[in-house]
Amino acid sequence: MIAEETLVQELKQEESRAKAFEVLVNTYKERLYWHIRRIVLNHDDTDDVLQNTFIKIYKNIDNFKGESKLYSWMYRIATNESLTFLKQKSKKMGISDQELKDRLVENLEADVYFEGDEIQLKLQKALASLPDKQKLVFTMKYFQEMKYEDISEALGTSVGGLKASYHLAVKKIETYLKEN
Amino acid sequence: MKKNKRNSFNIPEGYFENFNDRLMDRIKEEETGKAESLIPKNDGFTVPDGYFNKVTPAVLSKTLEKETKVVPLKSNWSFYYGAAAVAAIFILIFSLTRKSSSESISFDDLASAEIEAYFDNNTLGMTSYEIATIIPIEDVSLDDVLNDVLEESSILEYLDENVEDIEDLNLDYSDYE
Repeated sequence: MIAEETLVQELKQEESRAKAFEVLVNTYKERLYWHIRRIVLNHDDTDDVLQNTFIKIYKNIDNFKGESKLYSWMYRIATNESLTFLKQKSKKMGISDQELKDRLVENLEADVYFEGDEIQLKLQKALASLPDKQKLVFTMKYFQEMKYEDISEALGTSVGGLKASYHLAVKKIETYLKEN
Repeated sequence: MKKNKRNSFNIPEGYFENFNDRLMDRIKEEETGKAESLIPKNDGFTVPDGYFNKVTPAVLSKTLEKETKVVPLKSNWSFYYGAAAVAAIFILIFSLTRKSSSESISFDDLASAEIEAYFDNNTLGMTSYEIATIIPIEDVSLDDVLNDVLEESSILEYLDENVEDIEDLNLDYSDYE
């Protein structure tokens, strides 16, 4: 795998940009896809947001200062794009953010790209009831197995705060699964 | 059961023998974040077949598309020159044909009923505040916009009933001195 610094340098130079960008897309598409999918839930919406995320990365690569890892910076863009997408969707439909989240989970039952059973559907319901930050930390740690340090860079929150959010999320999900 | 000589508490047989193993297991679970037995390890989402192969060309074609949208400034100017030339020809033709007609129509020729009908049927899309900012208030008296003449006594009566504190009116007292 190509070193991150080299890739960033190549992305910033016009003559090597196209090739380097292809490498970047191939390297990160799956990880970013799953990150976005766990926020917006539906495959088609995820596809839209993923493509917009990469276009934003392409257009803003000159603004990447290298203060964080490229990987964390891209996660941050993907997170913002996903949350903005949900906000715009709820506004367009004239419903609250929470109503939209509940509807998205309800739609999973008829989604051909969701093969979850009853317990996995319940898990999604539990996740939909969590505040955004807790849900993000939980999915990034539990399903994407990211390190707290990387999540901290991506979400701009301290490691201590993230650990607290994660444990709180686990407790709430467990309680939800027990009671429902 | 093992008895402690100095107190009356008991512990299960072999408790301390396997304590280290249990502790290490627990630490391992905590580290991997997988200690939660109730929560499923897989969340059930799938993707269409071959999706990840198709997404790269889709993204690359879009970035290429965005780049080609940049049009050099020079060609813009030639477009404007062309448009200006066409517009000039139209204006010339229009003014020549207008001169040939004996009477020109002015704003005064519009029947006031038609103007009123226009305002009745078309919303201006402006709030009363926006209208107030464009109409010079110095040149308009209340009687110009009201159908009935407003009696001074009615104004005083209104103020008496609706204004609790005279300060709210922000009157400039110097006018009355």
